[in-house]
Amino acid sequence: MIDPITGLGIVALMGALATIAGAAEDLESDVGSQSNPNSQVQLAAQMDFPHRIFNKAISGEPPAYGLWCATGATVASVLLAQNMSVIFAIAIGSLAGGILLGLYSVTAHMGRTASQKRFKQPVYMDMVVGHVPSIIAHGFIAVFCIVSFSYIMWQILGHPFPLPLLAFLWGITAGAIGSSTGDVHYGAEREFQNQPFGCGLNAAYSGNIVRKAESGLRNGIDNVWACAKFGGPVTGLALGFTVFFDNWRSTVFSGMNAIIAGLIIVFILILANRLVEVQARKAYGPFKDEEGGAEA
Amino acid sequence: MIIDPISIALITLGGVLIGVGVHFIPVGGAPAAMAQATGVGTGTVQLAAGAGLTGLISAGFMYNFLATAGTFGTSEFILVLASGAVGAMIMITVTMFIGQLVYVYCVGVPPVSAKVDKDPITGDRQDIYVSQGTEGHGVPTVSFVSGTIGALFGGMGGSLIYVQLMQIGNDPSNSAVVALAGIFATGVFYVNSVLASYNIGGTIEGFHDPKFKRVPKAIIACLVASLLCAFIAVPIMGGVS
Repeated sequence: MIDPITGLGIVALMGALATIAGAAEDLESDVGSQSNPNSQVQLAAQMDFPHRIFNKAISGEPPAYGLWCATGATVASVLLAQNMSVIFAIAIGSLAGGILLGLYSVTAHMGRTASQKRFKQPVYMDMVVGHVPSIIAHGFIAVFCIVSFSYIMWQILGHPFPLPLLAFLWGITAGAIGSSTGDVHYGAEREFQNQPFGCGLNAAYSGNIVRKAESGLRNGIDNVWACAKFGGPVTGLALGFTVFFDNWRSTVFSGMNAIIAGLIIVFILILANRLVEVQARKAYGPFKDEEGGAEA
Repeated sequence: MIIDPISIALITLGGVLIGVGVHFIPVGGAPAAMAQATGVGTGTVQLAAGAGLTGLISAGFMYNFLATAGTFGTSEFILVLASGAVGAMIMITVTMFIGQLVYVYCVGVPPVSAKVDKDPITGDRQDIYVSQGTEGHGVPTVSFVSGTIGALFGGMGGSLIYVQLMQIGNDPSNSAVVALAGIFATGVFYVNSVLASYNIGGTIEGFHDPKFKRVPKAIIACLVASLLCAFIAVPIMGGVS
């Protein structure tokens, strides 16, 4: 049993690693265009808007990250059993996870794009060469951080789940958070900067994504540049908070007190959400008059 | 050959809790990721699994702590379930809150439900805040509270399955038993959340959504599916006498 002060330091380190992991996870899904916003990238060509956005939706982000992290952690576990140093074992494991992600990215992108030949969507080979290293790099950082804090949880905090299972579960959580938070920046804002800010996206504009960049034609690298300013960092915060709060309450408190501490955190977040809701309603105002008729 | 009926019943109950919990979670799928629908911008299964499995990690921690410390009675059992439920609730509230920040400060839309004219909890008018051509956007208070309740059920259900499988295995220090129970709990979680997702059909705002009335159908489907899962899982964990 570790003393509480050391325990808190460890939990803080895990939270920091999770924050980096969450940000890298979301930014990887922006470079490669994965998850829900990719539906618009897929639809664009069919609506007669051929583009140069990387199009890969290997699967939903949670199972995808479950797979990369489980692969990384499995390789790391094998190397650890051979007495390799922890950092090298996790780095090599994460590289294996990253390469797997790269392989799936190439097949997913080329398969999806080639199937859109009838809509005159070209397969740009320079995009494959330009985007895949960035996808692997972001994926590597995400997997490395997730496997690292899973290792800390398993080895130092003494979690009973084996490392690959723990990394698998945290990978699913990271994917779920990335898909729920940061992707909204990419899907609702960056893809549709041709619509007025704050209008919500009228379903009639589906598929009409922005295809021109600040310079030249827009691609996944341009998207990650923008999303790194908000969507990526807040995704990191979400995963970091989840890992930190969940472990903090069980490190500082024990038994029923840990449950009560968790419930208090939940209650505070409900109140914080209400404050944001009230502020947003005041700032953006009603879109119709009180009778629900004409535009206000 | 006798299979313990209580274990079968508890694992089935866990599956049903997961199925019911998924219906509470406000998910708008791909349309919500484009601020075209109310709820979190991801799929039903994805968010439910993310939350429930975070709960499973918490429950695994608590179970290990209590089971290795001494006797494991009813109060410890409840404590592990509560730990799983709270872990899932923390994950989903953090995710919904941060998602809300993106909707409000990045996309510039107020949280609003398109299924009700007034928020049943706050009483705020909803219909006049819905943007043209959309089915709502963001996570209004009623959906936020609903999602928290959903995570409570989901986390509790997943933990119930895990704890019961661990009780059958009866060896908390054996990592093979822990891994088997953990992966089975994950599997049963996915079976039930996918089933519930079919029942929902893409998007749901929470317990105030008319689609929520489909819950009884999900209960029957999850009951049958979880029963089958339990009949496979219990003998594998060594629960046959």
